[in-house]
Amino acid sequence: MSGKRAAVIWLALAMCALAVLMAALALGSVQVSPWKVFGALVHAQTEGVTDSSGEIVRTLRLPRAVAGFACGGLLALAGALLQVLLRNPLAEPYVLGVSGGAAAFAVLALAAGAVRWVVDTASFAGALLSIALVLGFARRAFWRGEAQEASPRLLLTGVVLATGWGAVVMLILTLMPDERLRGVLFWLTGDLNGAGDPWPALAALVVALAASVPVAPQLNVLIRGEAFALALGVPAARLRVRIYLVASLAAAVAVTTAGTIGFVGLVVPHALRLICGNDQRMLVPASALAGGTAVMGADLVARTVVAPAQLPIGVVTALVGVPVFLWMLMRGRR
Amino acid sequence: MSAPVHLSATTGGPALSAHALTLRGGGRLLLGDFTQVFRPGEMWCVAGPNGAGKTTLISTLAGILRPAAGHVELDGVRLDAWPQARLAQRRALMPQSTHDAFGSSVLDVVLLSRYPYLTGWGWEAESDRAAAQAALESLALGSLAARDVLSLSGGERQRVALAAALCQDADVLLLDEPLAHLDLHHQVDCLTALVRWMQAAPRTIVFSCHDLNLARRFATHALLMDGEGAAFGGPVAKVLTPALASRVFGHPLVLIAQDGYEALVPALRSP
Repeated sequence: MSGKRAAVIWLALAMCALAVLMAALALGSVQVSPWKVFGALVHAQTEGVTDSSGEIVRTLRLPRAVAGFACGGLLALAGALLQVLLRNPLAEPYVLGVSGGAAAFAVLALAAGAVRWVVDTASFAGALLSIALVLGFARRAFWRGEAQEASPRLLLTGVVLATGWGAVVMLILTLMPDERLRGVLFWLTGDLNGAGDPWPALAALVVALAASVPVAPQLNVLIRGEAFALALGVPAARLRVRIYLVASLAAAVAVTTAGTIGFVGLVVPHALRLICGNDQRMLVPASALAGGTAVMGADLVARTVVAPAQLPIGVVTALVGVPVFLWMLMRGRR
Repeated sequence: MSAPVHLSATTGGPALSAHALTLRGGGRLLLGDFTQVFRPGEMWCVAGPNGAGKTTLISTLAGILRPAAGHVELDGVRLDAWPQARLAQRRALMPQSTHDAFGSSVLDVVLLSRYPYLTGWGWEAESDRAAAQAALESLALGSLAARDVLSLSGGERQRVALAAALCQDADVLLLDEPLAHLDLHHQVDCLTALVRWMQAAPRTIVFSCHDLNLARRFATHALLMDGEGAAFGGPVAKVLTPALASRVFGHPLVLIAQDGYEALVPALRSP
């Protein structure tokens, strides 16, 4: 992998992202021509004529597409980082329990009939609590690294906590009044419908990239093991905590914005590895671009295939993600 | 306390030295009050029974493990006082095993060892590629450069790891069991390449090894660890003797000589 080849990959992914963005802005119950979409974006305020299609593009479709891109980017970035941290290509952003904590708290808030921002705050608090628990229980795995394959202690701590959160969610669901179940169900499978202001999530994506791209060369070394990394002058323990925090906070922001959208964080980095090679310097930014594009595209499908009804976006990503993942797994076994 | 930086100039180039080193592992004393200088142009074989602390010693000499007492110096400066990035340009470590979770080409794996030399955005320069290719060639691995590491055999992987350590271009090379999984032919080839590499600069090599006869043939010095706190270091012919080796390994060994060749072999125990 050379810097030039990585730049070509990034450029190609950015073009895809722009194409999907245009489609997401143009398609829907009201078709808007690409030319008009462009006009609506450029002449945001200056347009004197009240143009309903311009309004739809600016206030409905653009925030939703941006929220989708940001969440997808955050999830795929988190997945790519956790796959390095756990030295396991099948790790995903939710495997360490971040989404479980977020879901338990969000469901509790929804059950109490809280308004959107309270639900968001609760879910972010739940994610933070889960991150703190994993850091507390598995701190030795961070400081010392584990000599053997992957990091079983860290992984098992996360998986057990995630299972615990799942039980809490089920408990709340069974005790919850029926009329609120549907909203909760959408939240749990991932839903961009209620995503309000998309810009905090996009800002989080930029911050997460800024925190992980500079250490990407070190990630390449860390994958090969603790002793190897230390011998090359990579501060392994500090790096592990850093990528765990970046990945978990990224996942927390994504879950808070759009619920638990599955499979993006697992499939996107893994597919990029298979197609473009396993160089974290290329992979970290590429995952963010490809993940964002994937979720933006999935959301376009979710709101257009059964229009005027909408599917939860998590259903679309799972329906596509499960077969793709199984195929990759079978292919890897050979 | 800290020795003058140019102390080594009088003893012939930069040196790695252990000062009153004490190592413990699993609640046992592995090495007690060990002091030794490893000079350029010297190739040290570390030998001893299983669990004697060979890996612990090599990791401590590399500065990635803290000793229970004492310290290690490079060029007269304590290892923990070295900036990590500078240290990585001066000493390389080949761990006993590396685990590949992800596929990657052999060339890319070897290129990782150029990490201490990366500048700017962290992409390798053409000179780094040349160094990696040269390291592969020196171990006759040039033809494997494009192969996926996951498709390699254990022995091939071991030689790739050795090439990576060479590619780090440090003048102190610490190797933990570099000959494990290698057939006899490759063991001899690797040791020959290492001797050449050591003499070229000259540089220092410390490697652990179970084959006392290969050590006698290729190493200049040997360190025998009994795993109970004692270690015997010195020129290889004076350390890998039947008497000392028998004592350390807990099994009688005899030296046989024929046609100018010598070999340590386990004595037959009378029933």
